[in-house]
Amino acid sequence: MKISPDALAAALARETGPDAVSADPALVDRHSVDRQVPKVLCQVFAAEEVGAVLRVCAEAGAAVLPWGGGTLMSLGNIPKRVDVVLKLDRLARLVEHDDANLTATAEAGITAAAFRNLLAERRQFLPVDPSRPTEATLGGIAAANINGPRRPLYGGMRDLVIGMKMVLATGEQVKAGGKVVKNVAGYDLAKLFIGSLGTLGVITELTFRVSPLPEVAASFVATGAPQRCLDFAKAISNSALLPSALVIAGPENNGDASRAVAWIEGFEEAVARHLRDLTAAAERAGLDPGVLRDAPHDSLWQELGGFGWGSNGILCRLTVPIETIETLVPQLTSESAPGRRAQYVCHYGTGVVWALMEPTTAGLELYGELAAVVRQYRGHSIIVSAPAALKQNLDVWGEPPTTLALMRRIKQQFDPDGILSPGRFVNRL
Amino acid sequence: MTPGALVDELRTIVGRQFVLIEKEDVVVYEQDGSILQAMPEIVVVPADSTEVSAVVRAAAKAGVPIVPRGSGTGLAGGAVPAEGGVVLSLARLDRILEIDLKNRVAVVEPGVINLEITKAIAKDGFFYAPDPSSQAACSVGGNIANNSGGPHTLAYGVTVNHILGVEVVLADGEIAWLGGRVPDTPGYDLTGVFVGSEGTMGIVTKAVVRLMRGRETVRTLLAVFEKPEAATRTVVDITAAGIIPAALEMMDQATIQAVEKGAPCGYPTDAAAVLLAEIEGVREHGERAMALIQSICRQNGAREVRLAQDDAERQLLWKGRKGAFGALGLIAPNYYVQDGVVPRGKLPEIMARVAEIAARYGLIIANVFHAGDGNLHPNILFDMRKPGELDQVIKAGEEILKACVAVGGSITGEHGIGLEKKAYIGLLFNEHDLEAMARVRRAFDGTGRFNPGKLFPTPMGCGEVRLSPGKIPQGLWI
Repeated sequence: MKISPDALAAALARETGPDAVSADPALVDRHSVDRQVPKVLCQVFAAEEVGAVLRVCAEAGAAVLPWGGGTLMSLGNIPKRVDVVLKLDRLARLVEHDDANLTATAEAGITAAAFRNLLAERRQFLPVDPSRPTEATLGGIAAANINGPRRPLYGGMRDLVIGMKMVLATGEQVKAGGKVVKNVAGYDLAKLFIGSLGTLGVITELTFRVSPLPEVAASFVATGAPQRCLDFAKAISNSALLPSALVIAGPENNGDASRAVAWIEGFEEAVARHLRDLTAAAERAGLDPGVLRDAPHDSLWQELGGFGWGSNGILCRLTVPIETIETLVPQLTSESAPGRRAQYVCHYGTGVVWALMEPTTAGLELYGELAAVVRQYRGHSIIVSAPAALKQNLDVWGEPPTTLALMRRIKQQFDPDGILSPGRFVNRL
Repeated sequence: MTPGALVDELRTIVGRQFVLIEKEDVVVYEQDGSILQAMPEIVVVPADSTEVSAVVRAAAKAGVPIVPRGSGTGLAGGAVPAEGGVVLSLARLDRILEIDLKNRVAVVEPGVINLEITKAIAKDGFFYAPDPSSQAACSVGGNIANNSGGPHTLAYGVTVNHILGVEVVLADGEIAWLGGRVPDTPGYDLTGVFVGSEGTMGIVTKAVVRLMRGRETVRTLLAVFEKPEAATRTVVDITAAGIIPAALEMMDQATIQAVEKGAPCGYPTDAAAVLLAEIEGVREHGERAMALIQSICRQNGAREVRLAQDDAERQLLWKGRKGAFGALGLIAPNYYVQDGVVPRGKLPEIMARVAEIAARYGLIIANVFHAGDGNLHPNILFDMRKPGELDQVIKAGEEILKACVAVGGSITGEHGIGLEKKAYIGLLFNEHDLEAMARVRRAFDGTGRFNPGKLFPTPMGCGEVRLSPGKIPQGLWI
């Protein structure tokens, strides 16, 4: 940094007002990222202020980390520097809910739960199912590109976001896309910002395609041996049925059982048909079937959607071609040595396996072995969350992408001075 | 490098017969499906990614533009060599390299015709979802360049939602893989931003596409209306009832009459509009959704609702829709198709506005479009031989686009900006927005040699581009 923390705080306070800036040790400590404590916290209330803050930071050479609800901050490499944490959770207005168009626009700091409640007033919803929805912000979920179990039916963040506003390192406000569901005017910059983890700019507003709330929703749960759960999931995946999510989770009760769970939504008779066929398939696979509705249904998906986040373990995301799940899942649960065993939630339709391991060297070794299997089958794996001590000497994103040079040029174009979340992205970009 | 030296080098790379320079050979590459033309200097037709890479290197050395071209069915002049250089046809890269049903992906070359993918997997109960209306003629590479849509993208999304990765040749000739065989590869979503970049970032030489499992039921109905606003109101009400059809298409009276003149399929010629609605899913869903749609049609005064009872009837209902674009040629010598989009709730308003613009200019506008996602296709009919009429057509088209933007819409839903609409992109994006896009382009192609003069609002090039309705590529429908 070119100026002292005090001078930076004073410069920021001139832009956002003194109440919006803090260097209170207890407060900044609560906004540490991988034990890196920011020097200044800066709260914004309007997109225009984001531009002003970034201009101050650019001039001061201060590193800025955007922060929504902080629920996903464990993602990424240990930052090179954290000078300013830019708090966006008060940038939280619903801008427009055009229910006739099945679209809704909100500022990036709105929480998933607040957005859900507002959409529900007109019987619509956004199919993201994050951990801690009362804190997780839509901007944060987009920047981290964390996708929930209902992706097979509704798509992920890159499919759901149709418009975006962002502020660049220069302080310029720019937009991409729009509010219509079909739009090919210009480059789709929103795609580039989704998953960019605050390294290209700050997302300030998002427009989503949303869906009508289903008439009925229920969960189908089948419990039994992991291999039987896999057989069941494969059979469902190859059937005419269209669950919005199909998940295998385990192990259960520290034992050798797993759960195969399907989320069913739609017209009453279509849901009934699904439950009937699922029950028959579970019985054929030798699993023990059950159905959950209402509150138990909701809390089951809260548990599965938020799996592993906020734990003390090593949470990783393994993404593989669907067929490889059958190879991978047994390796997660066969305890070859003490401490080398994982809990997992596998999103069957997308080939995404979330695995949680002990925060030890043994856990890290298991991750290394799984990552090798994943690579062999042309998938990829990342460590999503781990104690800072374990992250010290590794790149949580894995091997550098083959297109690293191109990514570097993009980063250079958007953030030549490297003030936006430096070090957190692939190969410490 | 002299032009002669470049031609020699290109001949060495791809073989003499695959470098075209004579006027009678290159003339077929002067136009796409738009009304814009520019005569190419050199057309080269490489066989694989290695040759594409070598061609790009040679063009870079010679410092000339490269204009990639698929089947030439684009509607915005994207494949027209506005600033000269080398037209690079991907037509020979036409192999389906791999079909992996267990993992629901296929690897294809860019010259593969869209429909060929579904044809190759239909027997196993799978399909490739993006279905541009010209899918029997257009190529996957062109679909990727334009992020193409189609009737069924209402339920399944557009091309970008179905592309996991692409192998591309970059400006320096490097062959790179963006994305991969599974979603969310670490790093920036280069595939996501590349799809829809209209040939300005690189040239696709392979693509990993997602395959979907066919649905248990497909139900299709045709609803006939006496008033156009009753049809558009029905579209709004279907969405409001929480039903997302697989497709929801509308045709107005001018289109219906053209269809019945050309390829009759029993649409009533005195109707003001017809709606074609399709539902896919499990049987129980199809039955209930169709019952709801029927009752919404009736509530809005539909005088007739025909529910197809079998596949033959379904095909017949679709036949008119599929033949509509071609049939327009029977009622006017020329037509110019627009591609505006509006928020769905604004459909009744915008259709009234289109009719008002048509009346004011004394033009006939035939509407056949993807009503379910608010994507208009007003076809402005005219006669090129009448002096000044094309100017009026272009002015009317511009007014329609401005009206779409004014209600929160876009100037293109699926055809792209290309040459045709680059003067209008400023209606949607200011200089900062466009500069942000330009940064991405510079990261991909610092020389700006890939498809120059497209997408960005640069002035028209050296005045070589001509307007002519010319030939409509075979198999084209919108």
